[in-house]
Amino acid sequence: MSELQVLDELVPLHDERPDWDDVLRRARRGGPRTRILSAVAVAVCVFGVAPALAVVLLRGGPARLPSGADRSHVAVVMEPETGRVLLEAAPWKGHDGFCYVALSERAGCVPRKRRGTVLLYPPLFGWSFDPGVRSGTVTVRAGKRVPLRVVHFGGRIDVTLFVLRGRLPVAYRSVTLRNEDGTAIVIFRQR
Amino acid sequence: MLDELEAFYRAKLPELRRVATAIAGDRELGCEAVQEAFASAVRRRRSFRGDGTLEAWVWRIVVNAARDARRTARPVRLDPPAANGHAPVLPLDLLTERQRELVFLRYYADLDYAAIAAALGITTGTVGATLNAARRTLRAALEEVS
Repeated sequence: MSELQVLDELVPLHDERPDWDDVLRRARRGGPRTRILSAVAVAVCVFGVAPALAVVLLRGGPARLPSGADRSHVAVVMEPETGRVLLEAAPWKGHDGFCYVALSERAGCVPRKRRGTVLLYPPLFGWSFDPGVRSGTVTVRAGKRVPLRVVHFGGRIDVTLFVLRGRLPVAYRSVTLRNEDGTAIVIFRQR
Repeated sequence: MLDELEAFYRAKLPELRRVATAIAGDRELGCEAVQEAFASAVRRRRSFRGDGTLEAWVWRIVVNAARDARRTARPVRLDPPAANGHAPVLPLDLLTERQRELVFLRYYADLDYAAIAAALGITTGTVGATLNAARRTLRAALEEVS
């Protein structure tokens, strides 16, 4: 195999959809460093699980979202006391699904399913299409339970995301998601 | 000027994203870098002095954006897809950053030496010498693994 064949396979040529409007939006917004989360914002408490958690709805969004995200409908979850962005979510343009950024570390776009829950680690983050999920905890090896931020994004995003704010010192033992009554409806166990 | 930028973006998007993906080491980062690069070009278009071609100016911005994306992202690696159960090996790690960028611009964007030189701000002689060295390294490594 020649180097040309290998290079061809390394980064295949895709049939690309241009998005010039997105370029112009970004140009108007300014560079990534000067972007200000100024927009219009409505703070909402989420399920009473995280009263300190604000959900800010804004137009235009952080550059870290995948290019397939609909940046006209971005929802950002941040800690008001620090301004740290925990989660960003947006509808997936041209698809039935959503795009996300978790803790500025993990990003992607996910097709919608009727049900199902996915857990990723690290950072400890996931999503659930189960409408009943309201809260969650992670149990570490020593037995201590740490609450997760659980946020339901409505509208076209329509998914529940959950994330652990900090980092675990050691691997977790299990992650449990609960419904409104506190009943465990999804459990992930680390083997 | 804005129309020219848009025309270049629409005409060359696959090549732009391919090069940016290769440099950034991740397709999502590469696509993002291209969008940010063009946004930057739109904002800074009045600073384009016309010393070289508009295309070379934009390519330089795209390459810089892709480099920044790779440096700020978590380490990722493009692994060649497996073929017949055997993954082809392309030891890009043996190349310098400059050699890799030249290879990507030459093969993915199909730029000639003059265009690559203009995009990276180097001489055509340097482009030729660097590409020859890169090819020698790749061929030698491919012979070793085949």
